[in-house]
Amino acid sequence: MSLHWLKVAAVGSVAAIALASAAYAQTVRVTVAEYSSKTGPYFEKAATAFEAANPGTDIQIEVVPWDVLQQKLTTDISGGANADLAIIGTRWLIDYVSQGVAAPLDGYITDEFKGRFIDTFLSPSVMDGKTYGLPIAASARAMYYNKSLFEQAGVAEPPATWEDLKGAAAKIKAIGGDVYAYGMQGKEIETDVYFYYAFWSYGGNLIDADGTSGLDTDAAYQAAELYKSLIDEGLTEPGVTSLNREDVQNLFKQGRVGMMITAPFLSSQIKDEAPDLQYGVTAIPAGPDGARGTYGVTDSIIMFENSQNKDTAWKFLDYIFTTPLRAEFTGGEGFLPVNKEVAASPAFADNADLKAFAALLPDARFAPVIPGWEEIAAVTSNALQKIYLGEGEIKATLDAAAAEIDGIIAANK
Amino acid sequence: MNRSILTNPHVLIAPAFLLAAFIILWPLFQIGEISLNSVNRFGQLKGFSGLENFAAVLSDPQFLNASWRTVVWTVGIVLGTILVSIPVAMILNEDFHGRGLARIVIMLPWAVSLTMTAIVWRWALSGESGMLNSALRGLGLIDENIQWLAQAGTAFPVQIAIGILVSIPFTTTIFLGGLSSIPDDLYEAARLEGASDWQIFVSITLPLLRPFINIAVVMNTINVFNSFPIIWATTQGGPANSTDILVTYLYKLGFSFGKLGEASALSLMMFALLLVFTILYVRLAMRGER
Repeated sequence: MSLHWLKVAAVGSVAAIALASAAYAQTVRVTVAEYSSKTGPYFEKAATAFEAANPGTDIQIEVVPWDVLQQKLTTDISGGANADLAIIGTRWLIDYVSQGVAAPLDGYITDEFKGRFIDTFLSPSVMDGKTYGLPIAASARAMYYNKSLFEQAGVAEPPATWEDLKGAAAKIKAIGGDVYAYGMQGKEIETDVYFYYAFWSYGGNLIDADGTSGLDTDAAYQAAELYKSLIDEGLTEPGVTSLNREDVQNLFKQGRVGMMITAPFLSSQIKDEAPDLQYGVTAIPAGPDGARGTYGVTDSIIMFENSQNKDTAWKFLDYIFTTPLRAEFTGGEGFLPVNKEVAASPAFADNADLKAFAALLPDARFAPVIPGWEEIAAVTSNALQKIYLGEGEIKATLDAAAAEIDGIIAANK
Repeated sequence: MNRSILTNPHVLIAPAFLLAAFIILWPLFQIGEISLNSVNRFGQLKGFSGLENFAAVLSDPQFLNASWRTVVWTVGIVLGTILVSIPVAMILNEDFHGRGLARIVIMLPWAVSLTMTAIVWRWALSGESGMLNSALRGLGLIDENIQWLAQAGTAFPVQIAIGILVSIPFTTTIFLGGLSSIPDDLYEAARLEGASDWQIFVSITLPLLRPFINIAVVMNTINVFNSFPIIWATTQGGPANSTDILVTYLYKLGFSFGKLGEASALSLMMFALLLVFTILYVRLAMRGER
């Protein structure tokens, strides 16, 4: 009895909320990820400008910290309380598409609009020939190296191959003191990616042609052996599994790490926090056969299928993807330009750091578009942590992880 | 005897019951529903699946590891907290100069949010710039920095120690209340008879404090069993899941991997476990008190 009464009350209040929002026609709610302290103000400013140009519209920006974004979106969607537009990690998109949560945008996209984008970054958001998201943020990874430490160690050139890197690392280690040659990430998000840089150089593929995990291949064993030998020979910082990406970046900013691989945003952080640091950006080292790979990441902004104001939502998307707004966002956050005109503008084209990243784009690989990827990444990270800690033999640990990943892939088919 | 319907006890507790039902029973019912269905990552039900979600959780080796670790975690913190809090409360119960200040200092950690405390500890435990390492080096106890959070062998004991530290204020408060309820004449009589301090503690303080210890055990167990921030902020259950307890495993299942069905099943099992423990303990511990 009481449960029924509660349900009636709940339905009634939901209906009341729906009626109330209908009264404010043309309201568009946008969930945005907080990349930095500049993200919120940027979108608020864009919303205000858009509302002024389009009377009768109301753009509501909800800023969510990146760490809890997926959790918040999941909760909102399951409660039917999601926004009209949201930023998501493009690697999550497949779930949104397969469950019919994301709306295809092809009906709105004109050739002119499509032409604004660099193809490499638009393609991850295309599934089954339909475009479901627009790349709002793009990033790749390259190697940062500390020029002063290189000079002290007598290393003239940044290493071109992993073998060179090991040689350079030994010389940097010889300087002594609180200095570490190769900054290695061993904790939290992207621990697996830090391994893929070496894995790809040895010719590995995350998912092999037969649709199974590539972790049980020679490329993976060799890459793991390389990383393990760097750890064992003291060429990395101690306690690798207690440092996440930010921890290693902080060591680099303090001038205590010779080399590390990370995203473009480190150079904007260095500009603010350690302007005197002498550093360079170069390609990720190549493997014995010259293969190399960098990790490409895009975040997409998607429109929800259940949005009541799709036309207005699209107009807002169209507005924020114009060149001046893109230039402001990309520059402010330290991302790579996704927009051709922005990429060609002097602020970006003449930036040496960004040039190094852009040069790597042909080698960029994105997270595979398969359901369950987050779980696969976690399995991989766990296996790597065991290897780094010396708790598991390399081949056996990677084979077990590959078998577990194959199970996840099969379960999601 | 004709009583007005308004004084019927069932009617009188109805408002409170409905409120509790709305807050507790309704979500429980919904989680039960999700756990029996196959469900996508957005919580939309995709058809009845029986006990499949429960079977999937039970067959995951991670579940057993995390369960065992949860037992160590809960027992370690609850026991440790009580062992530390009894002497602390007895000292604070003595009349000494500056007692007010000492009580405030003991209670202060309570005022700081658990997540904040955990994050501060994460920094303090850092292998490169952590305070704990510099303190130990300053005291000459270690020559090399210890990477506290790099492996479970050091991380988990430290996490339990943090758990004990943050549980002390609440537990001490309970015991202070208990101690002040013990009449002073009992102690005076015992002293006149020539009892030693230890005898007084064992024969008077401890038995009279027992109901309060029971309350402290039950409340702390409920708190600690589901405590998420300490482990999440320091290691996120890593490296390689070696510091995962059931709550952190649950969070990963639900929000990182999007397996809401399995997560619901697990949270129901955790709820049942905690309920059974509490009922059993209350029955066993409080049996002799009636």
